[in-house]
Amino acid sequence: MKMKFTFAGAAIAALLATTAAQAEDVIGYVTKSATNAGWMMINQGAEDAAKEEGVKLVAVGPSFQGDLSSQLEVFENLVAQGAKAIAVAPVDSAGIAPAVADAMSAGISVIAIDTGVSGAEVTSFVATDNFAVAKEQGKAAAALVADGDAIIYVTGNQAQSTGQERRNGFLEAFKAERPSSEVIEVPTEWDSAQAQEGVEAILNARSDVKMIVNAWDGGTMGSKAALENLGYSAGDVKLVGFDGASDAIVAMDEGWVHADTAQMLYQMGYQGIKAAAAAARGEAVNPRIDTGYFLVTPETSAEYKKMIGME
Amino acid sequence: MTDDLQGTPTRGHSMQDRLILLLIRFFRAEWSGALLAIIVLGIAIEFATTDTMFFRPSNLMTILNNSAPIGVVAAGMTLVILTAGIDLSVGSVMGLTAALTGYLVSFWGFPPALAIATGLGIGLLIGTFNGTLVAYFGMPAFIVTLAGLSIWRGTGHLATSAQATPQLPEIFDYFGRYNPFSDLRAANQAGELDGFAAKIGAFVDTHWLSFFRTFQMSMLIFIAFFIVLSIIIANTRYGRYVYAIGSNEPGARQAGINTRLYTLMTYMIGSFAAAFGALLFLGRAPYAKSDYGQMWELDAIAAVVIGGTSLFGGRGSLWGTFMGVILLKLINNGLTLAQLDTFWQMVVTGGIILVAVGIDIVRQSRDPEAVRKLLAAVGAFMAFLSLMTPASFWLGARISLMEHNAAMALREAGEKLAPGHTARLMEPAAVEVAMTTASANLLGALALLALTVLASVAVFRTSWLTTLGLALMFLLMIPVVAAMGYGVTTPFLVMGALVIGASTFVFAVFERARGLVENG
Repeated sequence: MKMKFTFAGAAIAALLATTAAQAEDVIGYVTKSATNAGWMMINQGAEDAAKEEGVKLVAVGPSFQGDLSSQLEVFENLVAQGAKAIAVAPVDSAGIAPAVADAMSAGISVIAIDTGVSGAEVTSFVATDNFAVAKEQGKAAAALVADGDAIIYVTGNQAQSTGQERRNGFLEAFKAERPSSEVIEVPTEWDSAQAQEGVEAILNARSDVKMIVNAWDGGTMGSKAALENLGYSAGDVKLVGFDGASDAIVAMDEGWVHADTAQMLYQMGYQGIKAAAAAARGEAVNPRIDTGYFLVTPETSAEYKKMIGME
Repeated sequence: MTDDLQGTPTRGHSMQDRLILLLIRFFRAEWSGALLAIIVLGIAIEFATTDTMFFRPSNLMTILNNSAPIGVVAAGMTLVILTAGIDLSVGSVMGLTAALTGYLVSFWGFPPALAIATGLGIGLLIGTFNGTLVAYFGMPAFIVTLAGLSIWRGTGHLATSAQATPQLPEIFDYFGRYNPFSDLRAANQAGELDGFAAKIGAFVDTHWLSFFRTFQMSMLIFIAFFIVLSIIIANTRYGRYVYAIGSNEPGARQAGINTRLYTLMTYMIGSFAAAFGALLFLGRAPYAKSDYGQMWELDAIAAVVIGGTSLFGGRGSLWGTFMGVILLKLINNGLTLAQLDTFWQMVVTGGIILVAVGIDIVRQSRDPEAVRKLLAAVGAFMAFLSLMTPASFWLGARISLMEHNAAMALREAGEKLAPGHTARLMEPAAVEVAMTTASANLLGALALLALTVLASVAVFRTSWLTTLGLALMFLLMIPVVAAMGYGVTTPFLVMGALVIGASTFVFAVFERARGLVENG
């Protein structure tokens, strides 16, 4: 551990030393994952914004998705080495709070991206309102089935605010419109293999499931694999996704996915770093930046693909 | 392992003696703890799920299908652990080979067979690397493979930029979702069959949903892999040497065994199994990606340990691991079907692992007192479960009242309430309801608490008279609890009475078993 800490420290120090010579503002960017397809879009947006703003972006992530302790470590290193502003996507809303409070009191601006911080003030929170978008997802999903049809909902991690808000928002809107439909839940920790296994187990036991709604598009792809494993074809059981990831959009073109509420992922990273750069220059920043959403359906998918630059 | 019990049922024994001998044979197997846990859990889930049956061939085959990738990985881990080693890198090796195989097919235009061979070859190479460092350079296996855990994961991300591939070619289905009966069914539906073939085709078609749909390659390969590997272990010099190295490495070396070579081979098999598991995973997965297999090393180790294999090496079996893997997957499958709350699922999973390993430890001790204690503890646990039904209502009501009062006190002190605080304030009507709930459940909870305490005391000291008295008390509580409206606890109480009643016979059964074995 000690070893790793010194390495990370040395690396950041070296980066900061070279950038100080160029007199650019240094913005720390602590991401949640470097390997998740959705996060890679957010990270791209962050890089592009840094280039435009002419700031030096020091991007670091946890060693695996969801590892709070390594995220705290890199966050504290950035604070100690004098970053002007830090954009952070917390893996744990409450766990990161003490470190954020320390940074804020040291005069460093902290921008929360995607997931909020509970228990500490931040300069700005840049995210889609997950609860509101999940309600839109619930409405769109309700339109695809009749009242009384059984459906599956693949949840995200219920120990995180993102997972909780998406589930609560979906259930609230869906149940309001389809009160006698049964919702069977498949709990996951954002792991597509868990989604695949759970959906397979339920579809085996019940033949009356009409639709599978997913809290994120990794789950959508896992659910699609489960359907394929059991020999279903596209459209037999409807799929609804969340995120607007490119593989889910491909699956929509093939007739598997019927609706997908896309977060403006690229915008989240882009606006987050823009806000961080502005805060580093001492400008006032809006404390809540909503990056919006887009409802992708077979009708609107062409427009969406153009928007995210997918051919 | 010394075998003082040579139980084989022979002619001329009474029914009772045969039963005892059967019990001895069952508990001599390493996998009995895991199998017992599987059966008990299966029955519990069967009761918990009303409209969906758990013990159906199609559901059991689904569990087997989903066990296949991690099962193959755990088989390799079993051999490594039998040599008193450990391989923490299997999850990363699985991720690396899965991602690379998919990448070569999708983006380099490799023919699938060549990509698969490359993936398996990389598995062997990594195994050679790990094994060489452990066997020839004397580095601790824990350190070498802990480094590997990080190195191979990073390599996988680097090689494929951590991006998912498009859907893989159909040939990969033959390692996973391919169903050998699907062609027959299609031919039947198209009316291309006649005579005997048509009869089979029609049979498959009518039983498609209830049986044949889940009859897939994953499951067949999984079982075949275990059969082949266990035959190798049982019948080759390599198999014997693995156990010898694990139980006493210096001794094995002095006996002239090339322990280094065989240790190297074991790590090669371990990593090869990880690569093969990756292939089975790709056969059911939506795409190939380098973050597959995270934490699989822990799942594989858990399966091996649940299956009765000692972490210190030299003792254990492949079939134990087979049961261990199925138990882990069955927990996921069953708890999802039973729609248990996510957080409870975590708690229950850990509890079941403890129980399986606990049975195994008692089994190994061959001590009647330990068996009696285990049975008494199960009885106490049953009392606790029936206690929890009224007690959770009482506790829940008390806790919400307490939180309400604490939030009220804060408000009266003039503090600004956080959202978490306001959420805990209750309307006067809700306060009233909480108070009645608390008082209605108090007496019943106290009676069951007394039963739980008595049953817990009986774990440590008891006589057959008090034990029978205790079993009677369990039965007496059934109408009491039913009168309170908690009929659901009846199975717990019946089970508790049975288990505690059975605990009085443990010594007699052991005595008889000794006699039988010595004379037989």
